[in-house]
Amino acid sequence: MTSASSIQAALTDGVHAFAQWLHNWWRIAQLGAQLLTLALWPSSYTPAYRHALLRHIVLGTAPSLVGFTVLTTLLSLIVIRIVLVTSVSYGLTQYALEMMVRVLVLELIPLTAALFTALRCTIPRAAEVAALRSGSEWGSGSDPLHMQVLPRVAAGVVCALLLAAISCGVTLVLAYLSVYGFTTAGLPAYTRTVGHVFSPGVALVFGLKIAAMSMAVALLPVASVLITPARPGALTSAELKGLVRMFFVILLIEGVSLVGNYA
Amino acid sequence: MSTEEDSAAPPVRYLELKAALLLALLVALIGGTALYLMYARGVFEQTQRVVLLVDDSEGVRVGMDLTFSGFPIGRVRSVELSPEGNARILIDVPKKDAHWLRTSSMFTLVRSLVGGATLRAYSGVLTDPLLPDGAERKVLVGDTAAELPIVVAAARELIGNLNKLTASDSSLAGSLDNVKTLTEKLNGPQGAMGALLGNDADAKKIAEALDRVNTLLARVDGMAKKADAQVLGPDGLVAGSRTTVTQLNAVLADARGTLKKVDAVLAEVQAVAGNAREATTDLGALRGEVDATVRKVESLVDEVNRKWPFARDTELKLK
Repeated sequence: MTSASSIQAALTDGVHAFAQWLHNWWRIAQLGAQLLTLALWPSSYTPAYRHALLRHIVLGTAPSLVGFTVLTTLLSLIVIRIVLVTSVSYGLTQYALEMMVRVLVLELIPLTAALFTALRCTIPRAAEVAALRSGSEWGSGSDPLHMQVLPRVAAGVVCALLLAAISCGVTLVLAYLSVYGFTTAGLPAYTRTVGHVFSPGVALVFGLKIAAMSMAVALLPVASVLITPARPGALTSAELKGLVRMFFVILLIEGVSLVGNYA
Repeated sequence: MSTEEDSAAPPVRYLELKAALLLALLVALIGGTALYLMYARGVFEQTQRVVLLVDDSEGVRVGMDLTFSGFPIGRVRSVELSPEGNARILIDVPKKDAHWLRTSSMFTLVRSLVGGATLRAYSGVLTDPLLPDGAERKVLVGDTAAELPIVVAAARELIGNLNKLTASDSSLAGSLDNVKTLTEKLNGPQGAMGALLGNDADAKKIAEALDRVNTLLARVDGMAKKADAQVLGPDGLVAGSRTTVTQLNAVLADARGTLKKVDAVLAEVQAVAGNAREATTDLGALRGEVDATVRKVESLVDEVNRKWPFARDTELKLK
């Protein structure tokens, strides 16, 4: 009898937790829709909002550019070298370039850019939002969602997109230089290989993946803070939950993109 | 951004310019990448269509290259089924590369074990007319995977033959048994002789014959020694011959002296012959004189007869 009641209690708790989990995701989706509506609404672009948006874009993106470019260069060089040496040793050099572009540009670099953006830009901005939210001015003046949250989320999206674009460009150039050296003779063949890899379907999945990852790393940390009740003890838990949610969504996006590309 | 946060955070210099640069960089990168990918996909190229017909389009995928001498000159745009049930491979060839394709060009589809299939074009006569837009051509198929069953069948047959060869009742096994018997006989007391003759009695006869031959050879050896002594010994034939040769030399010297004397005799005979020739010449003159004398005597007798009274009339008269 005791075991039956404990099982029933565990089941009830599980259902409650699942319902809570779904409710949280629903609130995050609602928040994301509100922010998207605000971002697309022309009347949102007041001078004060535009100033805040530009400020967050510059402060969030510019300090990361050089460091991330160096990091991407090193990572790309290592992977390119590994792929080249392996393909030469197996006599499969004709597939090396295509493999580099697939492994680096399609898979590794967007993921790295998203994670770097999360660590350097969006998670600190979520902490700022949490700190502001615990203050007394939150909600007393202008709309905080418009003036505090949207600029940070939009800056996070821009940062993730810019880092991904820069790293992809750097990787494409490095792959070319590693295979052909400092000459333009290999450009037609290289362009043809890149064209092979980026078929319309793959290009679409690639674009959607980068956009989805950018929005995920920009929105989830902030949204996790916002959907948690504003209690002093709950902030750390909210940031951790946001991090877990972000990793979960990134993993999901990566899995879906792999299915879309190779299934 | 709220007023209180703006006042707390340090101001950013040239904020709008920096933001504009970052956004411009983002737009340029995304736009440039999109344009490059479109260029790489051949969106901006003017192309002409070549349709290749093949029974089985396995291995052909959209986007794969059509190569000419190893250089990609075209790209598969789509693969579809024709009303006849064949596969139609639609290929876009850029106008700038289309001159490599002629009406006499051949197209092949090669499927290898490792890697994908490859479409190749061969133009033997580059002076032939250009391949028209939308031309349909049959594809020659070279399929490595399709040849595998043939190779496997051949290998199976080979293995079957090997099994027959190595079976216990096969001729090879019999031959090996014979070889084994032969080697056993070779290793036996009679050795190779026993193996060659087959039975021990004959082998014994051969052995006895060999003994006799050995005895004979010993005797021949003794005879040879005796002959050697007789020929080459101190009183042998060679020594006698040497003495004979010496004596012959002396005889030859005597003969040489005798010949010289004969030469002198011959010289004298020659002189005698010369004298005789002169005497013969004188005899001719003498004979002429005798002849003249005889004629004179004859004419004298004739004169006497004519003048003689009892002379007869010897003249013949015709009446």
